[in-house]
Parts: sequence; C-alpha cells; structure tokens
Amino acid sequence: MWTKIRQWIEVRIGLDSLIQTQVADFRIPKNTNILYTLGFLAVIAYATQAFTGIILMVYYVPHPDHAFKSIQDIMTKVPYGWLFREIHTVGGNLMIMIVMLHMLTVFLMGNYKQPRELTWLGGGLLLIITVAFGLSGYLLPWTQLSYWATTVVTSIPTAFPVIGDFVAQILRGGDRVADSTLSRFFALHVSILPPLFLLLTGMHLFFIYRTGISATPFGRRDDEKRPLSAYKRKTHPDGYPYYPVFFQKQMYMTMAYFTIMFFIIAFFPTLYFPEEANLPADPFKTPHDIRPAWYLLAPYQLLKLIPNKFFGVTLQMILVALLLFWPFLDTQKEKNVLKRPVLRGVFLFLLAMWIVLLFWGRT
Amino acid sequence: MRYLITFAMMLFLFPSTGAAGYKQEFEDEFLTKPWAGVQIEENLCISCHASEKMKPEFREITEAWQASWHAQNRISCENCHGGDPKDAAMSMSRQRGFVGSPQFQKVPEFCGKCHIGILSNFLESGHGKALKAGRKAPQCVTCHGSHNIQRASIDIITEQLCAKCHSYERAKLMKQALFLTEKKIAQLEKSLQELKREGVYPEADEKSLFSTQAEFRTLFHTVDVNLVKDRTGEFTARLDQIDKNIQATYRGLKFSKNFAAFLMLTFGGMGVVIFVMTRTKD
Repeated sequence: MWTKIRQWIEVRIGLDSLIQTQVADFRIPKNTNILYTLGFLAVIAYATQAFTGIILMVYYVPHPDHAFKSIQDIMTKVPYGWLFREIHTVGGNLMIMIVMLHMLTVFLMGNYKQPRELTWLGGGLLLIITVAFGLSGYLLPWTQLSYWATTVVTSIPTAFPVIGDFVAQILRGGDRVADSTLSRFFALHVSILPPLFLLLTGMHLFFIYRTGISATPFGRRDDEKRPLSAYKRKTHPDGYPYYPVFFQKQMYMTMAYFTIMFFIIAFFPTLYFPEEANLPADPFKTPHDIRPAWYLLAPYQLLKLIPNKFFGVTLQMILVALLLFWPFLDTQKEKNVLKRPVLRGVFLFLLAMWIVLLFWGRT
Repeated sequence: MRYLITFAMMLFLFPSTGAAGYKQEFEDEFLTKPWAGVQIEENLCISCHASEKMKPEFREITEAWQASWHAQNRISCENCHGGDPKDAAMSMSRQRGFVGSPQFQKVPEFCGKCHIGILSNFLESGHGKALKAGRKAPQCVTCHGSHNIQRASIDIITEQLCAKCHSYERAKLMKQALFLTEKKIAQLEKSLQELKREGVYPEADEKSLFSTQAEFRTLFHTVDVNLVKDRTGEFTARLDQIDKNIQATYRGLKFSKNFAAFLMLTFGGMGVVIFVMTRTKD
C-alpha cells in the first residue's frame, strides 16, 4: 500500500530525486557550528506560535468586555488551554530571543557581506515583524499590564512633530487605547503580520538557497571574492551532507528549545505574567510601575534618558536603519570580526549599552 | 551606495536635533506621569479643597480621603455629597444634587444610599432605634470615621470605643461570635491574592467572598449576638465552598506544573538521545 502511494507521488512530482538533490546531496560547510541552526530554530518557533495561536483564537474574544474573561477561561476551563497559552507566551519571548541571537551570530561571522545583503535585510525586517507580533499580541489579553504597556508604546510616535499625533491615532484608532485599539492590534496580530511574515520568510529562504550557505570565517580561509562580478552560487562539495549530520544538529536544538520552554513553564510559570498581567485592564487606574516588554526596555530607557524626545525617537529609527542597511555600509573585505578591532569595539560597546539599558529599564 | 544611505540617515536625523525642546507638554507628561491624564479627569472638589485658599481643616479632608478605602475604590466626593466635580460654577449647586454634610442623626441615611443592607440592619438595632428616638447613640462615623474610612474589620470593636457609652461585655461577645468567620474570610482573601500571583484571576470566588463578607457584616450591624451565632453556620458553609474551589484551583496549578515538567523531561530525553546519536556518528 505504502509503496503504491509512494510510486503514485513519485511519477507525478519526482519526490526521490528532489530528496536526493535537496537533502542527501545537499552539502553543508565542514566548519559549521551549532549556531547555524538558529535560523531553522526560529522557523520551528514561528510554527509553534502559529499552531498554538490558532488554538487560542478558537476561544479568544477580541473585545474589551470579554477579552480578559476569555483568556481566564482558556487558562482555567478549556482542557489544556493553559498549556497552549503558556507555550504561546513563553514561545513568543523565546522566539524574539532566537531571532536576535540569530542576527547576532550572523553579524559576528560576517555572513551578511556580499552577496548576502538582501538575506540580511530580509532577516532584519523579519526581526521587526517578530517584535511587532510581540507588541500586538501583548495587548490582546486586555490586562492592566498589556493596557498600560500599550499606552506607553503608542505614545512614542507623538514625539514626532506634525505627523506624530496622527500616527498615534492610527495605531490606537482614537485618542486613547480602547476597543478600537484592541480590534486593530488583533487584526494586525492574526491577519496582517502572518502573511507579511510568510512572504519575507519565503524571500529570506530563497536568497539563502540562491546564494548558498556561507562558511564561518573562523579557522577557515574565506574563498568568496569581493566585489562580485557575476552570480555564483556558493557550494561546498567537500562539506557534510545535510542529512543526517546537520539535520541531527537541528533536531538536537529543537529538543533543547522545547526543553527550555517547558522548564520555564514548569518552574517559572509566572515569569511573563507579573501581578498586573493577571488583573483586568482598568483605564482609570494607572499602575505604579509601567514598563513595556523586555525586548523594548532598552529603547524605552534610552528614550527616557534623552531630554528631546523627537531626537530620541529619530535616533532610534536611525539605529534600526543602520542595522538593516549595515551590509551596504560595511564594505570591508575582512569577514572575521576578530581581525577588525574597531568594529569589534563598537559592537561590544553597543551590546554592553543594550544590556545596561535593559536592566536599567527594569529598575 | 553607502554614501547615499549615510547621507539619507544624516538628513533624517538633522531636523530633530534642531528642534530641541519641541513639545514641552510631551516632555512633561511622557514616561513620568501618566498619559492617564487623558483618562482621569480633574476633580474640582479635590483641587479646590486641596488649594492654599482653604482653611487647614478643609485641606485635611482631601488628604484623609486620599488615604481611604473609598479612594482606593474610586468613590469620590460627588458620590456621597453630590454636586458636579467637572463644573466649577455648578459644583456645589443643589440642582446638581449637592447635599453638603449631613446632620449627625442623618448620617445613617447618608451612608445608607450605598450601604443599603447595613442601613436596614442598623436601624433595627438598639443603636439605630436610640438614634431615631433622638437619644445619644453611635452612628456610622462614630466607629468608621468620616473621610479617612478604612477597610472594615473586627478590630474596630474595642473596649476603648464601646466603653464610651456602655460596658464592653456585650461587644466582646459579639467580637467572639464574629472572630472565626472573620478569620476565615481573611485567610480566603489571602489565598485569592496568592492565586492571582500564580496567574489565576478567581473572579467568581472573589465576588462570592465579597458578597458573603458583606452580608455577614450587614448582620453584625443588628448588634444581636444570638442572630449572628444562629446564622454563622450558613456563612461558614458558603466560605467552605469558596475554600474548596481555591483548593481545586491549586490542584489544577500543581497538575499543570507537573505536566510541564514531564514534557520538559521528554524533550530533554529526546535531545540527549539525538546528541548521543550525533556523537556515535562522529
């Protein structure tokens, strides 16, 4: 029976040759490390979010009068609803960490350089979309935490003259965070961001496929010639086969990802649910301590420190643009960051600043 | 290309540096004091009574109210005294329902606009009847205070307070009759708070506890020890049911933690197997 089904598919789409060329014969550079699996891990994290998100959507009611109650019902009445919500919440935070870590390692290995500028740009946009997923999802439970954190974040555009208030109004659907904001954020979270994300992921994977996998510069000579004069796909005829060697690494990291996730759920179930996250939103009661999610804490703290808010917001936008367009600005041939003291110094300074601002923002 | 991008970024940044001090109101409000300013409208009663032009005893009223249980539950001046806190000209107008301060004997009706059950029980009590008859008797403010009203508890019943008018014996018996039920209520409140910290919002149990507590305290205002003793069993049964619900929620939480730990071990185990397989291949 199985053989017949297999044969039926084979004669139609040539599955055997596809597996042979794209899996068995596909070669990975010999000096790849476990960090090369972070992109795959991000896809697994996204898939988990999509699956659990669909389950949650069945029970969630995107209306201020019912949102909080529906979330509480998911946590207490829906069979294993708590598990799906915990996976979705913890997974959302882990996903942002993974995407950040993925970009960090690609940066350190200089794998953004020619001809991979578009791959980097796509990845950077995916990071922004990931944060937008987090931000839009944050409001949906309609808790004190989500309501006031969203009030903070949607106030930021008002720093811009002329268009600032208009942008804030578009985001909120009014003067303040209310039912229209919830509807907008819900629409953004479940129907605008996912297709955008899929489109960018498709482009990102297409660029990776067409340019070929870049080898790490550590302990190996980079044989890619720059500047480019003609298209050439990078192949690694002397490398490891994707299956089973690299596939095992990916599976190993996937298991580690879920182990960490369930460790947090088992031992720190309220890590992402502080007390304010368990109280229904009250627009008339401002909590003493309002903070956005951890991934926005560093920019939030920076904004607090700069007296001119317009300058503060503009500076942050410049930093984001710098991150996105970095491959176009960095035209040095050397890939190995260890051999580039200035870049290494600037990078370490920015990383240290980010960590300091993050912890400062928490206090 | 890089010069073009750098130039575009500089061009983008430049106007913002030149616009230092732009939007002072944004500077003042942003990230320091709530944009809650949008949501919380100014209360003219408070702003006027707290101002320097008021006598110190009037200023103390706002300070006392701000520290009260009423303030915590957003019960503001106009809820008791009437009037319009948004319109300076009409804030103390009779047309807007302003009633000012009640006379001593009218205080129960004044508070009883909201505390309806307590009012009827109080009026049936010895205290209430004496007050109605125009004799010297306590009313709400005697025990609870006026503006700095704190959350009610049996600690209000003290020899110091009751012995002002009569012997403490009867009040002591009442306090004893209330003690166990009040203790149970306090324990349940603590458990419900704990559940909230665990990520559960026990709304139904919280409402049930609130109504049980309110009814029980309503009963107390009859100052009839026998009545309290007779009906304590009924309240205890309701509190036991809430306790059972809380325990069931805790069991649910324990199960979810154990289940997550099981999943953690499962995935961790599979990770170890894959790792060993990788090493074996090498």
